[in-house]
Amino acid sequence: MTVVGYPFALFFSIFSFFQVGFNIDDFKRNWENRKLVTDTLFDPKWDWAIENASLALLETIQIAILASILGCFIALPLSFYASRATNQSTLTYVVYKSFLNFIRTIPDLFWAMLFTVAVGLGPFAGVLALVMFSLAIMGKLLSETIDSIDLGPLEAAKASGAKHTQAVFTSALPQILPNFTAYFLYIFELCIRASVILGLVGAGGVGRIIETQRIFLRFDRISPIIVLILVAVIAIEQFSVWLRRKIL
Amino acid sequence: MSIPKQPLNQRVLKYVITFLIIAGSLWSASGLEITPERFLTAPSKVWILITAMFPLDLSQEAIDRIVPKVGESLFIAWAGTVIGAFFSFPIAFLAANNFSLNAFSRVTKQILNVIRAFPELILAFVLLPITGLGPLTGTLAVGIHSIGTLGKLSSEVIEGIDEGPLESIKSSGGSKLNELFFGVIPQVMPTITSYWLYRFEINLRASAVLGVVGAGGVGAELINQLRFRDFPRAGTVLVVTIVMVLIVDAISAAIRRRIIKGRDIRV
Repeated sequence: MTVVGYPFALFFSIFSFFQVGFNIDDFKRNWENRKLVTDTLFDPKWDWAIENASLALLETIQIAILASILGCFIALPLSFYASRATNQSTLTYVVYKSFLNFIRTIPDLFWAMLFTVAVGLGPFAGVLALVMFSLAIMGKLLSETIDSIDLGPLEAAKASGAKHTQAVFTSALPQILPNFTAYFLYIFELCIRASVILGLVGAGGVGRIIETQRIFLRFDRISPIIVLILVAVIAIEQFSVWLRRKIL
Repeated sequence: MSIPKQPLNQRVLKYVITFLIIAGSLWSASGLEITPERFLTAPSKVWILITAMFPLDLSQEAIDRIVPKVGESLFIAWAGTVIGAFFSFPIAFLAANNFSLNAFSRVTKQILNVIRAFPELILAFVLLPITGLGPLTGTLAVGIHSIGTLGKLSSEVIEGIDEGPLESIKSSGGSKLNELFFGVIPQVMPTITSYWLYRFEINLRASAVLGVVGAGGVGAELINQLRFRDFPRAGTVLVVTIVMVLIVDAISAAIRRRIIKGRDIRV
């Protein structure tokens, strides 16, 4: 394993660097262009950004809130079907598990592109894209948590006459609720980050403004927006860390 | 005997959270002008798109265009991960508070946090004028973002090590450097390597979308085909990407399991 693995990894790395065109000469030549960015990037136009981007930033946050809530609560029942511990039928287990694996392979922005084509440009496409995104992550994390629950309470509930769904509801669900809450907050953070870029493909939010300014290389307008996003992301993250400590 | 009641603040918290969830989604939905009907009609619209994609465009020309692009995404992801791993490894030691000076560790952690806060796409289009349209930009964007995430994860691994081996090296006269090479690195290497692979899986998805801003990879292909309403070919792009991601995920997951759990020993 090691004899084959390490040389292969090394070879593949070198090959990849050649494939992506890591060329010192080109790099030096392009380095002259840096002024295009650096001249404007560090000269932020704050007034413009606050006037034009704050509503879009709010839209971004709303997309993330709605999508992470919907995605996580859709994932909650699905995860029970996608776990061996709570699903007795092999057929439905395989169907749900592969469904979750399948939606996990498609990147968030691909979902956004597909939904903008299907339901039209705008924040609704972004919400749907992030619903799929959070559904995929929550489904994987939660079904793996359910796999490792303590089966004792489940058995006890059944021994006292509970049907399978009743047993799952009363003895498996309470076991995973703390994890569910923690994952939810984590996914909410991921959604906030992901929703920033949705606008690049027309799926709503602050990315739309970034995209239009990017085309004209107006980095002086983009950099304050990026800083605003950073502040919002960090504030939300701190809030989520605080909430997690409070709940768990 | 009565069942002990949950403490009051716990119960209050439960109601507060329920309220927050409902109020948050209603506020967001009204702000975005999203109505329940839009959710109900969405599946049929998505179905129209899916049926438009089939049968897939499997002509030689389409395959010749798409497969190299998907390969490019793979190379971007791998090279980016290598950059991330190479730089994050020493940085992680600087950031771990049990191994570096306290002030050092705090500063490094803040730097990593800032790096992590920029999505790959934003890094990509800031780098774009400097490094040019093409996969190099994507690689650097993925690499820089990976330094942030891998640095954080690796430093947490280093902080969680068992101090026993370090102590025994110290007590038998080993230097600080001996501690590092014989005490810390052998302990953290399996977990950190598996994080590298895990990051590679994430980077693969990130590099797939980088094409949207022209930073190489399959994303440009998808967005162009969708814009030209060439749905069969867009479907091919999607399917080839999904197959590649599934294969890479399976291989990477197998290697990670092997690294963490070791070889199966039959008794």
